[in-house]
Amino acid sequence: MKKVILTMIALVTISLTVSAQKQVSTKTHFKFFSTTPAENIEANNYASVGTITPASGDIVFSVPMQSFEFEKALMQEHFNSKKFLNTKANPKAKLIGKIANLDAVNFTKDGTYNVDVTGDLTINGVTKPIKEKATVVIKEGKISLASKFNLTLADYEIAFKGGKPSTNIAKTVEVTVEANY
Amino acid sequence: MSTKKKILLTLTIGVLIVAGIALYMFNKPARDVQATETDFSYRASAIVNEYLTDAKAANAKYLDEEGNSKVLEITGIVSDISEDFNNQKVILLKNATDKAGVSATFTVETNAHTNNVKLGDEITIKGVIRSGAAFDSDLEMYENVIIDKCDIVSK
Repeated sequence: MKKVILTMIALVTISLTVSAQKQVSTKTHFKFFSTTPAENIEANNYASVGTITPASGDIVFSVPMQSFEFEKALMQEHFNSKKFLNTKANPKAKLIGKIANLDAVNFTKDGTYNVDVTGDLTINGVTKPIKEKATVVIKEGKISLASKFNLTLADYEIAFKGGKPSTNIAKTVEVTVEANY
Repeated sequence: MSTKKKILLTLTIGVLIVAGIALYMFNKPARDVQATETDFSYRASAIVNEYLTDAKAANAKYLDEEGNSKVLEITGIVSDISEDFNNQKVILLKNATDKAGVSATFTVETNAHTNNVKLGDEITIKGVIRSGAAFDSDLEMYENVIIDKCDIVSK
């Protein structure tokens, strides 16, 4: 009997550690959306990699910048160019964050949890602190994450001096994130 | 024709040509990667090792400032088949002993060409490189080379 109980305790401990360990997501979607009276511009990226660590609340994303797809080829070239995102010099953007209210999430119970993510976002080689809201969904033991927030391009030294981009791209763009771990 | 008329006609034609070029530039279609000549052909292990040895040099060699980066043909062993949020097939070419592999994303048009691909098969894909392999100390894992707009190359 003692053996059985010990085995059970061991099994529970193992399963708890597994769920607390770092989990990887390669099924991700990052979207930029910019709206001005002139036009709406959207770019999508499905190639990012992310991790989440339930035990610590750590969230990391690595975003390959050249994977952003635009409807118009010219916009995509502008986006990548030295004047804007300089993706040859800075091929990846990075988010290193933490769930600030980790107590609000029960990773072992199905549900939708609202979280605050604080951390550092690096785009175009410029790192800025961020604090954004996100949603963690637990369903049958699987974790997914979603968030929508605004980015001010000037914060990341993405500046448009004159010409068409300065009138057709919003100063603040909406970023949508979803990830299945 | 008077000189005035001639000037006016020349100007009008000039303006129309410039406007036409501008419109074409603005609406030019995305590069057709499959129709573009292949720049380099490698085994998956070779490009992974090139990146892990010197990522900076590899980025300089393969990435383009405007995102029209090198078109590569990569041969390797299929170690994973999945689908992204855009319903595009993603095939990972990776040697069991390598630290990282080559992640190849197909398109809605080329997805069907992967239907007969099985784990363990050796295949060759062609696509455009988006980013290289590296150990990421924040993710605490190796990231794969990312190739986009892929199709299968039949040998």
